[in-house]
Amino acid sequence: MIPAELNDAAFIVVQLEPTELDDIKALRDTLRHFAVFDESASSQVRAHAQQAATSLSLILLGGACDATELLAQASSAIDAAISTADAAQRHEPRLSASDLHAIVHNTVAAVALSDAMAPTVAVPTLVPTVVSLPAVPVPPMSVPPVSVQPPAASDGGVIPADADLSLLSDFIAESRESTTGAEAALLELEVNPDDIEAINTVFRAFHTVKGTAAFMGLDRLAEFAHHAESLLSRVRDRAVPYTQAVADLSLRSNDVLREFLDGIETSVQSRETIALPGEYAALMFDLLNVDAVLAGVTMERVKVVAPERSAAVAVRGGAKTDADLSVRVRTDRLDRLIDMVGELVIAQSMIAADPAVINSGQHDLVKKVSHAGKIMRELQELSMSMRMVPLKSTFQKLTRLVRDVALKAGKVVELITDGDETELDRNMVDAIADPLVHMVRNAVDHGVESPEDRERAGKPRAGRVTLAAFQQGGSVIVELRDDGRGLNRDRILAKAIEKGLVSPNQSLTDSEINALIFAPGFSTAETVTDISGRGVGMDVVRRNIESIRGRIDIQSVLGQGTTFQIRLPLTLAVTDGMLVRVGDERYIVPLTSISLSFRPEPAMLSTIPPHGEVVMLRGEVLPVVRLHQVFGIRGAVRTPSDAILMIVGEREHRVALLVDQLLGQQQVVAKTLGEGVGDIPGISGGAILSDGRVGLIIDVARMTSIARTADARPRGLNAA
Amino acid sequence: MTSTVDRGGTSLGGKYLTFFLAGEEYGVEILRVQEIISMMPITRVPRTPPYIRGVINLRGKVIPIMDLREKFGMPAAAEPEQVMIVVQVAGVQIGVVADKVSEVASIAAEDIDPTPDFGAGFRTEFLLGLGKSNGRLRLLLDIERVLSTDDVSVLSAMPALGQSA
Repeated sequence: MIPAELNDAAFIVVQLEPTELDDIKALRDTLRHFAVFDESASSQVRAHAQQAATSLSLILLGGACDATELLAQASSAIDAAISTADAAQRHEPRLSASDLHAIVHNTVAAVALSDAMAPTVAVPTLVPTVVSLPAVPVPPMSVPPVSVQPPAASDGGVIPADADLSLLSDFIAESRESTTGAEAALLELEVNPDDIEAINTVFRAFHTVKGTAAFMGLDRLAEFAHHAESLLSRVRDRAVPYTQAVADLSLRSNDVLREFLDGIETSVQSRETIALPGEYAALMFDLLNVDAVLAGVTMERVKVVAPERSAAVAVRGGAKTDADLSVRVRTDRLDRLIDMVGELVIAQSMIAADPAVINSGQHDLVKKVSHAGKIMRELQELSMSMRMVPLKSTFQKLTRLVRDVALKAGKVVELITDGDETELDRNMVDAIADPLVHMVRNAVDHGVESPEDRERAGKPRAGRVTLAAFQQGGSVIVELRDDGRGLNRDRILAKAIEKGLVSPNQSLTDSEINALIFAPGFSTAETVTDISGRGVGMDVVRRNIESIRGRIDIQSVLGQGTTFQIRLPLTLAVTDGMLVRVGDERYIVPLTSISLSFRPEPAMLSTIPPHGEVVMLRGEVLPVVRLHQVFGIRGAVRTPSDAILMIVGEREHRVALLVDQLLGQQQVVAKTLGEGVGDIPGISGGAILSDGRVGLIIDVARMTSIARTADARPRGLNAA
Repeated sequence: MTSTVDRGGTSLGGKYLTFFLAGEEYGVEILRVQEIISMMPITRVPRTPPYIRGVINLRGKVIPIMDLREKFGMPAAAEPEQVMIVVQVAGVQIGVVADKVSEVASIAAEDIDPTPDFGAGFRTEFLLGLGKSNGRLRLLLDIERVLSTDDVSVLSAMPALGQSA
């Protein structure tokens, strides 16, 4: 049966005048609605209807095209839809005259057609008889004589006034999940283009977005999702192979869908029209002229290789189950819960340590208290683990990035990821995302050579970038390895000298030279591309990583590649600290920044006028920072040989902190001091100590700069 | 001058938590008060203005404590204060120390007089007005102002960063 809408449309369209804009609009909407939502019609029929709607849109937009011509186009597209529906009805894979007419004019699409089709297509005039072409796929979205322009409106429509906002936000959340799943599947397809299940996943994702968007009255989004879905459905039906071009279009579609969702979310709040994603117009154009795009682009550049040991399908199945069994919780609630549990543990330990309990002689009571303590510690561990998220999604984004950067830079790159199930504190995952993006870009753009250079160097054409994560002791290591050209230490040194970072006669070890790339404003890239090499880079990377108490190291062999190793604490929430006493105040020094604590002999200390104080340790001269002086603490030990010196800080920033006494190691939960106090130099935050009081955590990095500002560091002795 | 005082068109009348500080009775709008806690050990925070006493652990949250005596330039307390009043202003929690809490008083708008002008050298900008009820005079604090205004004279007297070493 031919859908009634089409018959009506065919009837209306022949009567329309190019000036009857309201009627054109009404017809356009009917057709568009039919094309997007009528599941009973075949995708080919709907594609024709969509094409007719697009032609009508162009009239409405009043572009340069001749309106009469566009009307004629719309009319023939409707005819095509009707004949296709008719043909499908009779189960005869025939082409009607109008269909052929469209095909004959379809010079762009012709390129994409199979060779078998070509002779027929080449016939320049109408074929009078009905031609039966059973073996040849009908181009479902035949391209009209002029390439189809997407509707050029500048906004994505408005959110319907009667929209249910809670439904809408559910829709956004669900659709985001769908797009994330789709992206994973699309990347999976890079490895295994024949994975029909992955195609289905993407198809379903687009389909779901389309259906729900239509239901919510978000027509522009529905329309777009429809086109994205159509492409996938053709792949699924094996009408087109899954090529690089399809992959590109689908990934871009997925991005645009996401941006669309962002736009809708913003629009829900601002109540303004939905912003169209920047790529929308270009992508819509490509999707509407998909055959031309598919015919014109045949590139196979990037190959993403999954870790051999992980069964891709199993991983995907697992991810789905995770999503099904999880509950979204606001992070501030989670943090509050963790705080409260931490408090509970402290309160419990105060009860356990209370003399009334210890000396009660009631064995049962003591046992019960300690049992409660055990449960609470378990509860604390559990609550801490709730902040942990796997690195999977971070790695997934990088997989995408490698693909895009490699294409842009003309490199052939294989990306191997491993250990993406490794878990890290949520905040930390966020904090390393940007540095990793930068480093991965660098690795692909600068690290890996061009295929030609690689061949000359006797390496395989495809460069290999490995992204791995694993736990090592109490740290998580994220490693980025490439087999590219490696760091050129001569060039780095030359550049550093040129920039005045080191003096020409300084002799530096290899690792010291490597570390120079972290200096601010340092960039060795000979050509600044739009991908990387803007000179703000590795210093920001290092700063970001250090801000979450991480460390980054480089190993590099010229001509063989570079390895970056980021070492991160398991969680941000808990700090291993050394509790120290100064006067009657207590402070916490992060354990990771302490390299040595000792009681100095008087002979190790010297005073450098006017007020510099240094300690000589194994031939190294370090400035002494008296904590009681910096913090104005009363009643502290003033003679260093009666107190303790702690060597803190990194490399050239090391100082010796003078404290009265070490009280012992303690795990603490770092907290801010609250906005009422603001930023205090030398203090990074506070933590609740085991007696319930607040201890202040010393900001070692700032402490060393305080020491220098205070001129405690004698000039001319920095690098003794 | 009218007999009632208002701020931004809203009447000042309403409920106030009143407390004693250096022999005077002060009032703070009850809606600003989150809780009253008894005195507990305060951790001094170095390099902060003297009116910041330090920080305490309020059920797992670290909040700062302000000393109104310092803020208002009054001499230090002869004996330790008894309570801390935790107020919340613009989402920021902060505790202020008080000698002791008095009561929750309903003060009608017509019982609130504008703060008289004492001339230079006397700080009245922290006051909303003077509340009279039951024959007592209460100094009604503009707590938002108290908490947000940096005491400039005090700040500039602070040793600059690093000069103490």
